[in-house]
Amino acid sequence: MKTPMMIMGLATATIALAGAVAAEYPERPIQMVIPYGPGGVSDLSARALAGPLGQIVPQPLVLTNRAGAGGAIGSVSVRDADADGYTLLFARVGTHTVNPAMNPNLPYTVDEFRFIAIYELNPVACVVDAGSDIHTIDDLIERVKGNPGEVAFSHPGAGTLPYLGGLMVLDAFGVADPLDNVIDIPTESDAASLTAVLQQTTEFFCGSTSSAAGFVANGQMRPLLVTSPEPVVGFDAPTVADLGKPELQALVGWTGIAGPAGLSDEVVEKWAGWLVEAVKDAEFRGFMDAGGSVVNLMSPDESVAFIESAYQNFRRLVLELDLEL
Amino acid sequence: MSFFDAFVQGFALVAQWESLAFLALGIAIGVVAGAIPGMSATMAVALTLPFTFAMQPITGILLLLGVYKGGIFGGSIPAILIKTPGTPASSATALDGYPMAEQGKAGKALSMALYASCIADFVSNLALILVAGWLAAFALNFGPPEFFTLIVFSLTIIAGVSGDSLLKGAVAALFGLLLATVGMDFIGGTNRFTFGSPDMMAGLNFIAVLIGLFALPEIFSHIRNPKEREGNVRKLGDSHLTREEFRGSLKSILRGSAIGVFMGSIPGIGAAPSAFLSYSEARRASPNRENFGKGEIEGVAAAEAGNNGVAGATLIPLLSLGIPGDVITAIIIGAFMIHGLTPGPLLFTNHADLVYALFIGLIASSVLLLFIGWFAVRGFRYVADIPSNLLFPSVLVLCIFGVFAINNSIFDVGVMLVMGLLGYAMLLLKFPAAPFLIAFILGPLLEDKFRQSMLMSRGELDIFVRGPITIIFWCLTVISVVLIVRSTMAAARIRRQQRRTSMPPRTGTNG
Repeated sequence: MKTPMMIMGLATATIALAGAVAAEYPERPIQMVIPYGPGGVSDLSARALAGPLGQIVPQPLVLTNRAGAGGAIGSVSVRDADADGYTLLFARVGTHTVNPAMNPNLPYTVDEFRFIAIYELNPVACVVDAGSDIHTIDDLIERVKGNPGEVAFSHPGAGTLPYLGGLMVLDAFGVADPLDNVIDIPTESDAASLTAVLQQTTEFFCGSTSSAAGFVANGQMRPLLVTSPEPVVGFDAPTVADLGKPELQALVGWTGIAGPAGLSDEVVEKWAGWLVEAVKDAEFRGFMDAGGSVVNLMSPDESVAFIESAYQNFRRLVLELDLEL
Repeated sequence: MSFFDAFVQGFALVAQWESLAFLALGIAIGVVAGAIPGMSATMAVALTLPFTFAMQPITGILLLLGVYKGGIFGGSIPAILIKTPGTPASSATALDGYPMAEQGKAGKALSMALYASCIADFVSNLALILVAGWLAAFALNFGPPEFFTLIVFSLTIIAGVSGDSLLKGAVAALFGLLLATVGMDFIGGTNRFTFGSPDMMAGLNFIAVLIGLFALPEIFSHIRNPKEREGNVRKLGDSHLTREEFRGSLKSILRGSAIGVFMGSIPGIGAAPSAFLSYSEARRASPNRENFGKGEIEGVAAAEAGNNGVAGATLIPLLSLGIPGDVITAIIIGAFMIHGLTPGPLLFTNHADLVYALFIGLIASSVLLLFIGWFAVRGFRYVADIPSNLLFPSVLVLCIFGVFAINNSIFDVGVMLVMGLLGYAMLLLKFPAAPFLIAFILGPLLEDKFRQSMLMSRGELDIFVRGPITIIFWCLTVISVVLIVRSTMAAARIRRQQRRTSMPPRTGTNG
């Protein structure tokens, strides 16, 4: 089914080129870059959305994984592409808020992109091993304060949401200089960070609910808090608002679509319209729910405002705690 | 639900033509994909994943597992025929498989690879079914310090694949360690040797390095010296294995399977180190040690057993703990999630029928692999018949396409070509490529696990002897080093004696 569509797409593109008339966007296949490897949360989310989107967008969507350097390589490749709407990026919280806030040497900045939409939010949860004697976030804070420099948390590398997440939570609950008072252990991935918690190499992990959902459902891990305004299904833990720390709601993962900075209004509007239809798809929603994500489509303006506010929140923390790389 | 009920229901799930057909289809896809240079088993599984979304859970998962198992075996086909490992795990297979093909024994090498793969796969699946719980508990005890000592021990493999000169092997390994440091270090987030280029931040792509190092030097030497091979037309040879050949390798196959099961059950190692460890252990134990690296059939058997032995065992942490042990199982976990299934302890209680269906399917996969592999061997071995002036240019084109396709990056193609020149220089100067590759794979693991351990202990070195596992690996390391030193000195003594009696040096062409 894909191949005839491709051939048709190519044929239309050829005819359009031959005619050399300024037809309406899009007149050829659109390349969508996923800046992470196949099979990860970002890849699955992008491919799940591309299913219904492919039915709506009049041209084929070509999904391309360009992984490496925490998403920097894929991001740079889209920034450097022509701003004609034929090369777009699946942007993530890591590539477009946490990393830019932490790493001044990143080869791109957030301003070099124009955001079309955010379509998915991933609340953050803090989890501990089910066998641990830490039952609430207060137990954890007490443990950290009572044993400075003893308690460890794992995260998939500096410049990622779980790294900032662990420190932000400790900071919010009154641990002074969290960087000096806990041990942070970088691992290869979210999964490896959670494995470290299971192995009791580290005490806790604060990352997206979707990566921890399986372990919580199996009773292998215990959630201490979630950062969403509403409780998360399957996570028997208070929200940060219940705990009196609503400012931690800023700690949330997201996925969206962006293009190079020069993207025209026409392209952005078209996409906004297509996405409104695509996110209604029942199969897509079912997949997102199963993974612990919240489908939350934002308009282009809302997306820009959301990213800007998240960036400022993270940036403030980075400067306060001196986390710059 | 009793065990028997669950088993019967599981059997009912598998004993439908769809389940078996998709499993067979997966294996066939995997074998073909694995056989294409640059198209790894990982990519094949990732590309198949979206097709499973609309399927029944059991058929979808069996399809992916089929692609995985087929892909790991399929990688051995080009490794043997054209010295281009289709997947990283089959680079150890090329060490003896390619010389066998050069000697006109491609058929035998392929058949041995197939039998070793199927036996190891079967052993690995049995381990998953019978001792998963025990191995999973063991894997949970494997923290960064234990991992570090395992890698230190694994580095002793380098001696086993260094060929004639241990010194040259060590130099090649150091070079591999050095190149492995290129890119963004994830522990400190600092850039190393990136020269401000975003492409370099991701480090040198593993498959690009692998193909550059193994396949390209062959092509270059053919271009420089096309006459050399013309008189020596390669033959397919007989693909029938004699009973002696099989029996002589059986011990290595079983040892390789055990190594694969052990390495596979520990999350984060993967099949390539397992294949090399199995190969090096086989060489150490074999009476034909001299012939390893020159076309020894037992070397092919050991390498393939080592990498396929991992395939069932990586499912141990996946199914019993919910931990993906490598990139491929991380993709397969996606297939579980799509269907609302959560791998982990509860899967055995809530979906016991599915678990047993998977077990039965896995056992069936070893048998199906034998059949499909048999046809693949017969189909692909004609590659050996293609005249070199057609074969080598085609391989070059395939390599470039394959490497480009990994990340759609022309930079990776450049890395491959530069590594090809380096590999050719190493070939001319008689530096072995395998130690380079092993160091390139293990170096980053060694460093990361060391630094993680140091962070855990806040700089105290005694964390590296914190438990029985670490101590066992230190002892194994010491034993291997002593053995290496002894055999190196013995070899030097023999060489001196030969020189004294003015005999021509042994060329090592046994049989």
